[in-house]
Amino acid sequence: MFMVNPLILIHAVCAEIGLFAFLWVLVELLNPSETRIARAQVAALAGFACLFFAWLVGGFYYVEVYGLHVKPLINASDAKWVHSIVMEVKEHIFLFLPILASLTAALLYKYDGELINNRDARVSIVLLAGVIFLLGFSIAGMGAIISSGYRFALMTGMT
Amino acid sequence: MNSKAITRAAAATIVLIAAATISSELSAAFKQLLSTIGSHHWIGKSVLSVVFFGLLYLVFTKVSDDSFTLKDTGLLIGTVFTSGLAILIFYVMHA
Repeated sequence: MFMVNPLILIHAVCAEIGLFAFLWVLVELLNPSETRIARAQVAALAGFACLFFAWLVGGFYYVEVYGLHVKPLINASDAKWVHSIVMEVKEHIFLFLPILASLTAALLYKYDGELINNRDARVSIVLLAGVIFLLGFSIAGMGAIISSGYRFALMTGMT
Repeated sequence: MNSKAITRAAAATIVLIAAATISSELSAAFKQLLSTIGSHHWIGKSVLSVVFFGLLYLVFTKVSDDSFTLKDTGLLIGTVFTSGLAILIFYVMHA
């Protein structure tokens, strides 16, 4: 029977909460006020913390579980491309997210109340939060393809 | 905090991640070096990305004034998409 490793669940849930936190940042800054900026700062900090935790958990799973048990199965199947393209792209593009998240949080705290009148800083944060959300959910989609590739490898290995 | 410097540091770090990713597939010695930094080449790249982000911020602080504009963010976002696309195209060709 196909069992999902709990580390994958923790990695995916933390990452998705982090991504939605940045969507929240984007929405708060569309029409900013002192209160909305304060909420966006909390959301950005929480989002960064979630993405950082997802990085640690996902990294541990990738090195200790995926590389030893999942990768060999996928590579031995007809879905080898799932590792050689999708996983390789996912694991490396993911490294962009903590950098973008920390930058977005830093800009929010630096400009603070100034964001109401500073259009360049406000639009920058909105764009960065949007990029984090879109890039993150592209990565989540790749994660779903990898899970399907693993299931395919298990099923074809059994027949 | 210098906004222009941190945005430039983020862009340069993302380019370095893409360059290290592609270089490690082309050079076994470089991949081994990254594995020496962490216990795995991906951990090596992760550690390097954090270290370089910090170091590049310090370097860019020395050379950048703090006149942050939307152009800086545009450059960073362009870098994100170009670097991501470079990684994708490389692995599609390399697979």
